[in-house]
Amino acid sequence: MARFDPYENNGGTCVAVAGADYCVVAADTRLSVGYSILSRDHSKIAQLADKCVLASSGFQGDIKALQKALAAKELIYEHNNNKKMSCPAMAQLLSNTLYYKRFFPYYTFNVLAGLDTQGKGCVFTYDAVGSYERTGYSAQGTGSALMMPVLDNQLKSLVLSYCQLRTFNTKLLLVQDAVTPLSESDAVDLVKDVFASATERDIYTGDRLEIVVINSSGTHRECIELRKD
Amino acid sequence: MADRALPRTAALACVLRFNFLGKQKRREERERGAEDGVRPRVNTFSPEGRLFQVEYAIEAIKLGSTAIGLKTKDGVVLAVEKRVTSPLLEPSSVEKIMEIDEHIGCAMSGLIADARTLVEHAFRVETQNHRFSYGEPMTRESSTQAICDLALRFGEGDEESMSRPFGVSLLIAGHDENGPSLYYTDPSGTFWQCNAKAIGSGSEGADSSLQEQYNKELTLQEAETIALSILKQVMEEKVTPNNVDIAKVAPKYHLYTPAEVEAVIARL
Repeated sequence: MARFDPYENNGGTCVAVAGADYCVVAADTRLSVGYSILSRDHSKIAQLADKCVLASSGFQGDIKALQKALAAKELIYEHNNNKKMSCPAMAQLLSNTLYYKRFFPYYTFNVLAGLDTQGKGCVFTYDAVGSYERTGYSAQGTGSALMMPVLDNQLKSLVLSYCQLRTFNTKLLLVQDAVTPLSESDAVDLVKDVFASATERDIYTGDRLEIVVINSSGTHRECIELRKD
Repeated sequence: MADRALPRTAALACVLRFNFLGKQKRREERERGAEDGVRPRVNTFSPEGRLFQVEYAIEAIKLGSTAIGLKTKDGVVLAVEKRVTSPLLEPSSVEKIMEIDEHIGCAMSGLIADARTLVEHAFRVETQNHRFSYGEPMTRESSTQAICDLALRFGEGDEESMSRPFGVSLLIAGHDENGPSLYYTDPSGTFWQCNAKAIGSGSEGADSSLQEQYNKELTLQEAETIALSILKQVMEEKVTPNNVDIAKVAPKYHLYTPAEVEAVIARL
């Protein structure tokens, strides 16, 4: 007997890396269902505020609904508080919005990224019901299991030792300092490499990679081709 | 007993009918509203375009204890007259300056019970809701607006609304990324941003003294002294640490201990 299944996984992967004064967010543009491709040109990245970008993978219907809800709340915030929402404020709002639907969740795997109120890069990574954490880098989606180990290998010890240096070799790791010391172009190259690797083995990741770089001069978008098989 | 039932039922019927008629009559009266000289409803305009209840509420505040606020570039100072009416009264229980959030405090004048409700339900709940939703402190202007939104929710008909306006004026001292600020609210639900303001019974005299003595280059210490000296002018009793309260928001809210108040009095 066929039951109505409200969810569907449209695949895809999202990655974000935070730097000292920039943030790199990237996602592939393939939209799939089952073993079929629905679109090779579908963006998973939404700009919520001028220094705040949301990259989501998962069920596209819920992703669109979530983006609409957040954009509306951001506008209301602007009107009530006479200022645009900062990335950390949006992070908290996204967490609350997701948890509100704890018993019928948004099937979305989100990475929120941008610049915080001091201009430093910040990346917030979420699960489907709103548990979140500020980190220096993150990957979410079907290819995340292939990407995270590589990112850990390339960035984690750097992040940790950089933080240890900054916190005078204490064991205390401050979340606000969770940024990579890499330069902007190095971070972009790393992201391109990591996507190329995931595309090889994950059937849902490929076609084209959309890279968004946020820094003090604004938002810059770049697209590169990925394998189409 | 049976032969008394009939007259009793008849009496009951009469009472019920009377009540029913009364209710209808009252409803008609309410619907007629402001015509033919009947007192207008609480939240509707008079024929000249005035809201009487709001104006009467503003009058009520002129009976309240005096409160003074001054803004400096380092922070905002609030001072209130506690009006301790009896030596048996415990002065520390008279709370006329309250903390709203880490970065906002307010002084009140008028019906203190109304002020408590306003501060508790509107102010504190709104600022904490903002922290819950956005993980950051609320800006001082939007928190002031949140209070004023509640001020005009009065009238008949709706069980949710109050039967009369809040009879309280607030001096809201805050600090956010735009610096220190002082807001003044009144029962009409309007708010003004001020550099210095006095409210309550001594407000007229205090306001004119403030106009003479205030300038934008004051330090926090000078502002404390000015606030207390003006309070001394308008208060009937001598100023002691037990019958005034001082607080500052610079940038965090801090209510002065009696020892600190004593230190300011010593400088007068």
